[in-house]
Amino acid sequence: MRCGIIEIENLSVTKTVCGVLKQVNQEESDTEKAAQDGLSASSSTRRIHVCLNHVSHRFGGRTVFDNLSASISSGQTGIITGSNGSGKSTLLRIIAGLLEADSGDVTFETDGSYLDTQMRRHMIGMVAPDLTLYKELTGAENLTFFASLKGIKADRAMLVEALTEVGLRGRGRDLVGGYSSGMRQRLKYAFALLGRPKVLLLDEPTANLDSDGMAMVERIVRCHQARTDGALAIVATNEPRETSWGEPLIHLERGE
Amino acid sequence: MKASTGPNDASNWMAQARCLFLKDLRAELRTRVAINSVGLFAFSSLLLVALATRGLREVMTLRMLDLPIDIIRPADVTAAMFPAWSAASKMGLLWTLLCFAAFAGLAHSFVHEEEAGTVTALRLSMSPAGVYTGKLAFNLTLLFAVALLVTPFYMGLTGMQAGNWPVFLTLMLAGCIGLGSTATIVAALAAKARGSGALFGAIGLPIITVFLMLLLNAANTLYSDSTDAAAHTIKTVQDVGGLISFGILLISVSAFTFRFVWEE
Amino acid sequence: MADTTAGVAANSKSQVPPMTGAWWKLGTGFLMIFVIYGAFFIAKGAAGFGESGDKARAVFFHVPSAILASVCYFVGMYFSVIYLFSSKRSTLEIDAKAAISMELGALFCLLATITGSIFAGIQWGVFWNWDPRETSIVITLLLYSSYLILRGALNSNPTKRANLSAVYCLIALVPQQFLIWAVPRILETNHPTKVLQNSGNTSPDYRLILWCSILAFTLLFIWLFQLRLRAYRLVAKKEAAR
Repeated sequence: MRCGIIEIENLSVTKTVCGVLKQVNQEESDTEKAAQDGLSASSSTRRIHVCLNHVSHRFGGRTVFDNLSASISSGQTGIITGSNGSGKSTLLRIIAGLLEADSGDVTFETDGSYLDTQMRRHMIGMVAPDLTLYKELTGAENLTFFASLKGIKADRAMLVEALTEVGLRGRGRDLVGGYSSGMRQRLKYAFALLGRPKVLLLDEPTANLDSDGMAMVERIVRCHQARTDGALAIVATNEPRETSWGEPLIHLERGE
Repeated sequence: MKASTGPNDASNWMAQARCLFLKDLRAELRTRVAINSVGLFAFSSLLLVALATRGLREVMTLRMLDLPIDIIRPADVTAAMFPAWSAASKMGLLWTLLCFAAFAGLAHSFVHEEEAGTVTALRLSMSPAGVYTGKLAFNLTLLFAVALLVTPFYMGLTGMQAGNWPVFLTLMLAGCIGLGSTATIVAALAAKARGSGALFGAIGLPIITVFLMLLLNAANTLYSDSTDAAAHTIKTVQDVGGLISFGILLISVSAFTFRFVWEE
Repeated sequence: MADTTAGVAANSKSQVPPMTGAWWKLGTGFLMIFVIYGAFFIAKGAAGFGESGDKARAVFFHVPSAILASVCYFVGMYFSVIYLFSSKRSTLEIDAKAAISMELGALFCLLATITGSIFAGIQWGVFWNWDPRETSIVITLLLYSSYLILRGALNSNPTKRANLSAVYCLIALVPQQFLIWAVPRILETNHPTKVLQNSGNTSPDYRLILWCSILAFTLLFIWLFQLRLRAYRLVAKKEAAR
């Protein structure tokens, strides 16, 4: 019985979050908005605070970064800058909970309670150069697989919508192995946005993308910022154009 | 997303394991890397065995050459084909083959995730319990498939008898479970260690040797003629029980430690 | 146990003259000498080992090393579990302790193999005949080596090395335990465990020397453990300073 309830709750939440994004995109009618707010208020508008507490990390004997502290809350977009090899990707992996910092920690707090690693990962959507999808599966199969892992039922309409959003409409049946690097980057966005996660972590967000793709990424980030349900984003980049998406969070100097 | 969809729910990791299993199966049916390498390895070793054991058959073959065609009896042909070992040794050789074949191919499922870089996406989306269960199920399926293909062929080639069918089948099943569970957790370790190939064998084979020792002992019991039926049954149960408990223990320890391998 | 003594010794080493704590090491030395002398000149042979029972003298060295080969594995496993469940910061020393136990385990296992083979040579006439117990000790040696090979392959990343080798130690515990408990019961062996366990076969002085030997080997293990740990700490200190 308990499972059944969770299922229903889960479905409604998914719908709500998707709906919220739709409002941003399409400015839908007020009545629907009110209904959705009513639904989402109970569960999905919780604010999230991400805190980095004195985070240090070393690779072998080399200190990548030392004693970093910062915090970011819902509604903000934080930009991490730093030269090559300064540890931007490593820091994002630590924030995502994929890597454990040597000392210090990263906490996700919502309503005064801290989230464990699994819960944290569940609300993260990530795009990074070292995150790849299955080359031996098609784009649609990749999305279906990861959606089902997250407990989201991926029907045809949802897949088409997800692929259209990243400009891959009509390419869903092709093997990812046959995609160009730009198309793979686009598919990663479709993956990251599955289930509309509250926290977006983007590492080199426009790598391999054409100008059209860059505009797409910017649109995605702006939409994410405009969400009213407590979303936040952290972007690691050096592109001047992308640093203007949010406020500086951390600047990393290259360690010795 | 809402907390209730957290991956910690018991029903959730089972569902995730199922998804991963189906994904692996689909990818495998498309690329056939693992099944081809395991199958090909098994069959070519079988060929090697046939060649290497020529000495055991030579006498009969030479005698046959001198004889006029019409005098050759089916029994001679059979004897020429089948090496003159005990059934238990044939069983031992079969498992040596399966063992090396498993070690040739079962690492693929983990190593591939690691090398292709898909491991990051998986770690973001799945709980370790789900990954372990899914991969174990996939590896066991693969091993069952190979054993199912190779064993009848091997039996035909070497004349190995099943003896007592239920016991024989239980033995094969327990063997696959023990071998598959060992290979799965060792593959996970080797995949993380990157050096992979050589390391997989080096750290996996000592573990599996113990298991093979038990398995061959059970095979000895299976093929032994015993006058005391009750004692024979007790010995069989004891041996097969030892085999099955090895598999179960290994799976339990793996399930318990897998998250330390999976997380960095 | 070994852990605390080692800690105390290391602390005292840095403050007071290095001879502190030497009394029990001297004691170990004297005990060892006593055991070696006693094994050949004090103890009478045991029944069931040829006419004179002299062949049973190999037992004084074989049994303690075999026992320690298993005990070391447990010590290694203990530290591996502690490592896995401690918070990951500055706990690499626990991993080093596990590694040291496993290294020493490999050493004692090798000794047990050699003494066992000598015993097989004099008792059964061949130095190696694939008795299940002989196979077992070789596989145990292989398990120890695999652990050390795995560590060697991961030298570049100490955290990963600690993690993966701790897991391997736990996984390999399953076959190791089967070798100790299941194999002797399921497989037929010539190994004279039962002969020795029957106290009618041995004299009191025989048992005295055997127990002394077990004690001496255990103390030797603790001593070696300490030495290796001290060496590890020195290297770690040097690396931290760099």
